[in-house]
Amino acid sequence: MNRSTLALALAGSLATALAGAAFAAPLSPEKMAGNEKCYGVALKGQNDCAAGAGTTCAGTSTMDYQGNAWKAVPKGTCVTMKGGMHMGSLTPIKS
Amino acid sequence: MDFATGQHAFAQALLHADAPLPLGLTGAGGAVDAARFAVYRNNVHVGLTRALAQRFGVTERLVGAEFFAGMARAYAQDHKPSSPLIIDYGDDFPDFIAGFEPAQTLPYLPDVARLEAAWTRAYHAADAAPLAFSRLAAFTPEALATLTLKPHPSATLLRSPYPAGAIWAAHQGTELADIEAWQPETVLVVRPEMAVNVHVLPASDGLFAALLFAGGTLGAAAEAALTEEPTFDFGAALVGLLTLSAFAGIHQGDVP
Amino acid sequence: MNAVPRDCLPARAGLGLKPEHYSHVLEARPDIGFFEVHAENYMGAGGPPHLYLEAVAGLYPLSLHGVGLSIGAAGPLDATHLRRLRDLIDRYRPQSFSEHLAWSTHDTGFLNDLLPLPYTPETLARVSEHVDEAQQAIGRQLLLENPSTYLLFAESTIDEIDFLEAVAERTGCGLLLDVNNVMVSCVNHRLDPTAYIDRFPVERVGEIHLAGYDETVDGAGDRLLIDAHGSPVKTDVMALYELTLARTGPLPTLIEWDNDVPAFPTLHAEAVRVDALIAGQAVRRNVLKRAG
Repeated sequence: MNRSTLALALAGSLATALAGAAFAAPLSPEKMAGNEKCYGVALKGQNDCAAGAGTTCAGTSTMDYQGNAWKAVPKGTCVTMKGGMHMGSLTPIKS
Repeated sequence: MDFATGQHAFAQALLHADAPLPLGLTGAGGAVDAARFAVYRNNVHVGLTRALAQRFGVTERLVGAEFFAGMARAYAQDHKPSSPLIIDYGDDFPDFIAGFEPAQTLPYLPDVARLEAAWTRAYHAADAAPLAFSRLAAFTPEALATLTLKPHPSATLLRSPYPAGAIWAAHQGTELADIEAWQPETVLVVRPEMAVNVHVLPASDGLFAALLFAGGTLGAAAEAALTEEPTFDFGAALVGLLTLSAFAGIHQGDVP
Repeated sequence: MNAVPRDCLPARAGLGLKPEHYSHVLEARPDIGFFEVHAENYMGAGGPPHLYLEAVAGLYPLSLHGVGLSIGAAGPLDATHLRRLRDLIDRYRPQSFSEHLAWSTHDTGFLNDLLPLPYTPETLARVSEHVDEAQQAIGRQLLLENPSTYLLFAESTIDEIDFLEAVAERTGCGLLLDVNNVMVSCVNHRLDPTAYIDRFPVERVGEIHLAGYDETVDGAGDRLLIDAHGSPVKTDVMALYELTLARTGPLPTLIEWDNDVPAFPTLHAEAVRVDALIAGQAVRRNVLKRAG
C-alpha cells in the first residue's frame, strides 16, 4: 500500500468510525464517561483508593527498621489457574 | 565541628542502621541513649515504607505485608526521595521490583506496580481538556496520516505480557475477583476529569496505541498495526482512544 | 512584611484536612474553625486535591503548614521548593503559613523527618537567613514551630526558647507553639513543661498545635515520648494547653492527627473539646476585664 492509498484508507476508516459511533460532534465529558464501555474494558477501581498515597506523615513508635530480619518469600495472594491454561483466579495463600 | 559537618555526620548515621552514633549528641542524663537516635532512623524509614505501601496497595497484597515491608526497606535504603514531594515517591519502585531477586517468582509484579504508580501520577497530573473528535475532521487524508497526538498529561499506557489490569482489578474489592483470561494486556490509565480510569484496550489496538504514545504519526502507527494484524480497524481504534480521553493535543507534521 | 495579616485564622479549633474526609466536609459543612493542610501534599500539578482544597478554602479559613522546606539545614534552601510554596500561597491565599525549626534535606535526598539541630550563634544566623529568605520569597510572614526532639547536642549554647525568640526578633516571623512538642521534648530531656510555657514569648504566637504522643522507654528505661500524631490529645497535654491559653488568650488551635486517621466524628469531637477550652478562656478574660 503506498502512502496516498494508506492515507485514503485511514481517512475512510475514520469517517466510518466517527459516523457509526455518532461522534461527529464533540461530546461532553459526562457523555464520554457514559460511552467509555464501548471501547476496551473499563476496570472498576476504588475511586480514591490511592488518594492518600504519598501524603506526609508524622513520627512513629512502630519500630520497623531492623536490618534484614525478614523472610524472602512472597506470601500474598497468588494466581491459580482454573479450567485450563487461560483462566485464572486469585486466591489468598494459607500461611 | 561546624554546622554543615555536623549535619552531614548526622545524616550519614541516620541512613545506616549499623553506623555508630554521630559525635556530640547528649541526653538529659549525659550520654545519649541509642534508642533516642533510633527514633529518627525509624521515622525516616517507616515514613518511606508506609508511603510505598499506600501507593502500591495491590503489590503489597500480592506479596504479603511482611515481604512488601522488606522489599520497601531495601528500596528505601538506596532510594531517598529527591524532593519533599512524597506524592512522587516510588516512581521507580516498579523498576526496582523488576530487579529484586526475591520477587522473581512473581513475574507480573513489576507491571502491577507500574499500573499503581501510573494511578497516583494520573491522580496528581495537570488537568487538561481531552482532544475533541471535531479536531480531526479538519484534516485532509494526507495530513491525517502525518498527525501526531499528544498524550493527555494524566495518561500512561502500559503494555504488559501479563494480565496486569485484570490482576489489579481483582484486588479492588475486599474479596478477590477472578481473572477471566491469562493473556497480555495493554492498559490505559487516564484521568479526563476527577476520576482516574483504568481500561484494558482491545488486544489488536495495543501496538497502535503504544506507537502513538511514543510520538509516532497516525500513518506510521496504523501501518505497523496493519502489518501485525491485517484486521486492525484504524477508525475504531482512534475513535476508541479519543473516547477514553487518551490524548489532549494534536500536532501536524509535514505533508510528504 | 512584619505586620500581622488582617485576614487571620479565627481563635478556634481547627483540623487537618484529609482526603478521606473531603466529601464529608463539603457535604456536611461541619462547624470547624479552620482547616490546615500540609503544603507538600498539594504540590501536584492538578487533580482532585486541588479541586477539593479550592472548595474547602472557599468555605473555611485555611492554614498552610509546610513540612519540607528544611529551614534548619546547614545548606541553602531549595529554590524550586520555595517557588512551589510561593505558587501555592498565591493560589490559595491561606490565612496562615507555618514551617518548622528542623531540617530534612541532605545531599543524598530528602530525609522525610523533622530532624533536630544544635542551637549556637552559627545555627541561629543560618536559620534567621533562611526565614528571611523564605518570607521574601513567599511575600508574607511565616510562623516558625518549636520542634519535638529526642536528643540534645553538646555544642548547643542557646536555650531553645531564646533561639526561637531571637529568630523572631531578627526576621519578624511569628511563632507556632506546638504544646504536644513541648511535652514530648520536656519529658524526653527531663525539663519542666510548665516552665517552658511560662517562659515562651506568647505575644509572638500566631497558632497553637495539639496532637497525641506515643510513649515508650529508651535503653536506660527512661520515658521516651514520640510525636506520633496518631491518637487523641493526651490528658497532660490538654492540661498544659489550658495553662498555655491562660497566658496567650484565645488562639487558633490545630489538632493534628496524621497517622491512623479516624472517622470524621472522632476528629470533630476533639475540636469540640478544644473549642470549649478556648471559649472558657475568652469568658474568663471578659469577667476579669469587667471586674478590673
